[in-house]
Amino acid sequence: MTDVAAAGLQPGGGLGDATIAFLARRVSVSVASSDRANRPCVGRALGARASADGARLTVLVDGRANAALVAAVAETGRLAVVISEPSTHRSIQVKGDTAVVATPTADEAALPAHHTDLFVAELVGIGFTEPFVRTVCAHDPADLVALHLRPGAVFDQTPGPNAGAPLSTRVPP
Amino acid sequence: MSTDPGASGRATPTDLPPPCDRLTLDAIRACLEGVIPATIATVAPDGTPNVSLLSQVHYVDPDHIALSYQFFNKTRANILDNPDALLQVIDPPTGAQYRLRLSYLRTETAGPLFESMKAKLSGIASHVGMAEVFRLRGADLFRVVAIESVPGRSLPAPVRPRSLLSAARRACEGLRGCADLAELLDRAMAALRDLFGVEHALILLPDAATGRLFTVAALGYEGSGRGSGIGWEVAPGDGVIGVAARERVPIRITHMTTDVAYSLAMRDATADDPGLAREIPFPGLERPHSQLAVPILSHEPGLPDEQLAGILFVESPREMRFTYDDEDALVTVAAQIGALMRGLPAPHAAEAEEPARPAAAPADIRLTGCPHGAPVTVRHYATDDSVFLDHDYLIKGVAGAILWKLVRDHTSLGRVDFTNRELRLAPDIPLPDFAENLEARLILLQRRLADRCGALRIEKTGRGRFRLLVATPLRLEEMH
Repeated sequence: MTDVAAAGLQPGGGLGDATIAFLARRVSVSVASSDRANRPCVGRALGARASADGARLTVLVDGRANAALVAAVAETGRLAVVISEPSTHRSIQVKGDTAVVATPTADEAALPAHHTDLFVAELVGIGFTEPFVRTVCAHDPADLVALHLRPGAVFDQTPGPNAGAPLSTRVPP
Repeated sequence: MSTDPGASGRATPTDLPPPCDRLTLDAIRACLEGVIPATIATVAPDGTPNVSLLSQVHYVDPDHIALSYQFFNKTRANILDNPDALLQVIDPPTGAQYRLRLSYLRTETAGPLFESMKAKLSGIASHVGMAEVFRLRGADLFRVVAIESVPGRSLPAPVRPRSLLSAARRACEGLRGCADLAELLDRAMAALRDLFGVEHALILLPDAATGRLFTVAALGYEGSGRGSGIGWEVAPGDGVIGVAARERVPIRITHMTTDVAYSLAMRDATADDPGLAREIPFPGLERPHSQLAVPILSHEPGLPDEQLAGILFVESPREMRFTYDDEDALVTVAAQIGALMRGLPAPHAAEAEEPARPAAAPADIRLTGCPHGAPVTVRHYATDDSVFLDHDYLIKGVAGAILWKLVRDHTSLGRVDFTNRELRLAPDIPLPDFAENLEARLILLQRRLADRCGALRIEKTGRGRFRLLVATPLRLEEMH
C-alpha cells in the first residue's frame, strides 16, 4: 500500500510518482463519465499511462463498445478512472472535469497490446485463462479512442473503511 | 421490471412492455457469481462521476439486485442523492459483457435479503477469522431498469454437464417412500452423487439443546484422514454451515480464493486486533474452493414458522462448482427432504410392536453372548457423556449416553435386543424434547460404530428395534 498511499497530487497539480508507478503495474482500468443530464456511463479501459510530469493521464478505450461514454466525455469533460491491481485489490481513483476525446497517437495505440499482456500475466496468476482475458480485452484497433485527463483529484479506492479518502490529503506512512 | 419486493406485495405496471428477446437478469445470472468484479458508475449531484469495483453483486429476483453496504463510500453517497447507476458485468465462462442500468430503491437493514447477504459475508469472513469485522450495515436494493449487451467478442459457452432441473425432479421423486430417517439420508446422498455429480456432501442435524450441528450422513470424506465425516460437529455461526443454520438461508461461496483474498485486503485495511485473526476450524475439505450450505426446513402445518431440521452441505475443490442454478436445485431438494422428514412415520408409533427379526450379522460377530478375543475397554465420562473405546474417542452427548446404557445392560444383563421406546423412557439418557432426536442419535451412533469396524455394532432389527452386536468381551470404566 505504501506506493499508493504516498501518491496523490503534486503541489503543482498532476499525479505523484507513486501513482505513475502504480499505473505501470499489472492493473485493470475502468472509467466512468456522466452526460449533461447527470446520467452515468461506465466502461472498461484497454490501457492507461501518465505523462512523465504527472500532469496528464491518458486512457485508451474501445470507442465502439463505449460509444455513450465517449460521447459523454466529449459533452461534459467529466471522467473518473479507477486503477486496480486484481491480485491485491489495491486501487486508486483519478477524477477530473476537463477530459478531452482524441484519436490516439501511434504510441498510444500500442498501449492496449502491452496492457493486455500485463493483464494476462496478472489474471492467469489468480486462476483465469489466457484466452478468457484476451477475449475480454479484444478490440478492433480502428475503434481505439484516447481520453486525456488533467487530474483534479486522486483517491484511495482499496476496499475497506479508507476507500474514498483523498490521497492528496493523506499523510504518507 | 415490475415488482418492488416487499414494498407492496403486488406488481406495478412496467414502463415499457419488454420485447420477447429482451435480455433478462436471469439469463445473465452467471455474471453475478462474484468471479469477476463488476464496475459501477454513479454520479454526484454536481455531475462528478464515480467509478468503483464491486466484488459482490447480489441477485435478488428477476428484476432486482442488491449491493452490500459495509462502509460509507462515494458510491453510496451518490446513490442517496441520485438513484441512477450503471453496472458493467462480465460473464465468467464467455467473457461477454453487459451493462445494467439501475435505479436505487432503498436500503434494507433487516429481513431475508439482509440476512442472506450478511450470512454470505459472515460465511466468507469466518473462514479468515474476520466475522467480527465484516459487519453488513445494509443491503442496498436496486431495480434493474434495462440490460444491454456491450459490443465485443466472447468465447463459446461451455456445454453444461447435466440438467439441474431434471436432476432436481428425479431426486425429489427418488426420495419418496422411505421407511425411516436413515433411508431418507442415504437416498439423499445417493441422489447428490448420482444425479448432481456431487463428490463431497454432508447432512447435519441440529442438537436441540446446544444448537450445534452433527453429521449423520457423509459422502466422499473417506480420504480426509479424519474419519468418514460422521460425527463431525459445527457450532452455530461457524463457517457456511453454521451461518446457514443460524440465519436459515442458503450460503454459497463459489470462488473461495477470490473471496478470501478480498477479505484479507479488507482486513489489512481494518483490523488491528490480533485476536480477530483466529482461523475457525471447519469440517470438510482442507482446501475447498466452492461450498454450498442449504438449510433443511420443516413447517408445522398451518404455521408460518419454520423449524431448522438440518443442513444439506456440498463442497468441491473446484472453483465455481455450485452456481445460482445449483443452489436453486438443492434448495428444492432440501425442501423435499424437510417435508419428508416431517412425514416420516413417528419412530415410536409402531415401535416395540413388531417382533424383532433375526439380524443379518457379519460372520465375525457372534450373537450368542460369548464374545471372544482381547477385551475392549469402554470408558465413559459422566461430565459430557463422552465414550472412548480403548482410549480412542468415539462419541459424546446423547449418543454417548445411549451407548453407555447399551453396554451396561449388555454386560450386566446379557441383553442384545433393545427398543427405541425404552431408550426414550430411560431416566439416564438426557433427551431434549425433540421428535427426531433419538432416531438421529441412533443413526449417528450406528454410523460411528460402523466407521470403527470394531468390536461393537448396532443393527436395526425392526421398526423401533435394534440389536447390539458385541464381538469381544467388554470392560467398562466409569470416569467421574
